Amino acid sequence: MAYSGIWAIGSIAVLVGSGYFAKHLSPLVNPPGRPLGLEAHETHAGASLLGQFRTSTSSWLWLKTDLYLHNGVELRAQTEAEIAAGEKQIHDADGWHDAIGDEVRHVTAIPEKHGDPRGIFGDIERATQSYSDMQGHTHIDPKSALPLYRLMTWLDPQFLPGWTIGATVLANERKDSAVVRALDYLAEGLVDNPQSIALRVEIARLKVTRQRDFTGGIPILRDAINLAQAADFDANTEDGEAALDAFRWLSLSLREIGEFQESIDSAIQGLRLFADDPVLRRMANPAPGIWTSESQKSYYEELGKS
Amino acid sequence: MKKLLIWKALARGVVLESVRRKDIWVVAILGLLTILSAGALGFFGFSGLELFAKDLGLTVLSVFSTILATLASCRMLPDEIKNRTLYPLLARPVSRFDFLFGKFLGAIAVSWISFALLAVMVAIALFTFGVTFEMILLQYAICKMMGLVLVCAFSLALSTYLTRAAATTLSLVLLFGSSMILRGLTMAALGSPDMAWLYTSVSNLLPQVGLFDLGSRAANLNWTLVPAWVVLALTGYMTIYSAAMLTLSWAKFRRRAI
Repeated sequence: MAYSGIWAIGSIAVLVGSGYFAKHLSPLVNPPGRPLGLEAHETHAGASLLGQFRTSTSSWLWLKTDLYLHNGVELRAQTEAEIAAGEKQIHDADGWHDAIGDEVRHVTAIPEKHGDPRGIFGDIERATQSYSDMQGHTHIDPKSALPLYRLMTWLDPQFLPGWTIGATVLANERKDSAVVRALDYLAEGLVDNPQSIALRVEIARLKVTRQRDFTGGIPILRDAINLAQAADFDANTEDGEAALDAFRWLSLSLREIGEFQESIDSAIQGLRLFADDPVLRRMANPAPGIWTSESQKSYYEELGKS
Repeated sequence: MKKLLIWKALARGVVLESVRRKDIWVVAILGLLTILSAGALGFFGFSGLELFAKDLGLTVLSVFSTILATLASCRMLPDEIKNRTLYPLLARPVSRFDFLFGKFLGAIAVSWISFALLAVMVAIALFTFGVTFEMILLQYAICKMMGLVLVCAFSLALSTYLTRAAATTLSLVLLFGSSMILRGLTMAALGSPDMAWLYTSVSNLLPQVGLFDLGSRAANLNWTLVPAWVVLALTGYMTIYSAAMLTLSWAKFRRRAI
């Protein structure tokens, strides 16, 4: 009887202990990011299928989130023909599309009454589905979509828009604590995506624009730029666009703290990768007389640093 | 009166057959899985997902009820012919139209019972998420049940022309793909006004089951009830389209050599 009690206590201790050590073992047996050389999806159909399911589900959640933010009103991108015909696109009134960097010209998926060839079927569809004229539309509180961002990054930690847009939603609240939460969220994403340029740029962007922490943001941007200059960098991925932003933000941040020559140098460095970028070109070739030693001096005097 | 009794007996037979085949159990298991999934989301701590849960619940309800209605409608006629149970039925004073119509009513009854069972399960799942009842949910259920009539009529019509497997496959493809096909046809009509009449005519021939699905309004916030004239128009469309499908079924079935 006494032995059984000891066994029971011992078993519980072993369970607690293994749970404690499992936490420390996790980074070793399940390292963040994609382990090099492990291409199970290429050799095992099950792994491939599971991966497909994971990415499809998170993409589906992504689309659902966009739908919820528009209160169920489905939007679609305008076709080339519609753009060429000069048909009007819809605009938002709260600047959400600009905040998330959405530059696509949208219209409602269900056509408006004017010009709909379906007659009464069109009228019924507009009445039974979540349709409204979206000119000057607003969005439902993005915070309500936060659990979905959390869910999609939980399902697929490599789904970068889930991290970046989720952080934008968090930081959308005009509070310092909201920015801190957004930075924590991005830092969590960086653990799962240690090679991500997009996440680094987003972290730096929040630090620079919301916290005015230029010295904190610059090393992160330099990290991002180092990754963009690696031999295996692919400019056609999400990180490609982020790399351009990294150069732009670095150049702007350096200018902001008065490091004019370094700002020009980083813009020139960026132009080697993105030769036709007008922002970098302007940063690399400032108008004559703008950043002369005299202008630098007066800048420092204004800041009280001279 | 006699006709009513015949139709009722035939419809009852379809429901009993469905119970015997344990279709209702499948519905119950699917519903239980829905509840468990909802519980699992709560278990993982994803609070604040009420909107998502409502949308997911209504989607599950819509998809499963459509699948069950299609399966029930597509198998009736081919099974009766294959099992030779059609002969004793037609040997009685039951016309071929009565037979078709009775079966059609049976398919509607099965799909409505399945829908009601699933709706109860989904309602329980949503309740656990703290989703409150709104009148638009009731309107959603009524319109969805009308849409299931359309599904049954369309699937039954296909099953008179095709084999059971082909009818089921084509029904599911057209019913689930109809919204995408109709969207494509509408865009084509908008893009080429000269040919709009053709695209519109083709889209009018397809079953517009999406019109009966108020899920997007019911799942999202602050949408008002659908006006009465729309519900009346949907009722009219359901009646006309179902009658046309039944007529097509009868035109084929009455000439069929058995």
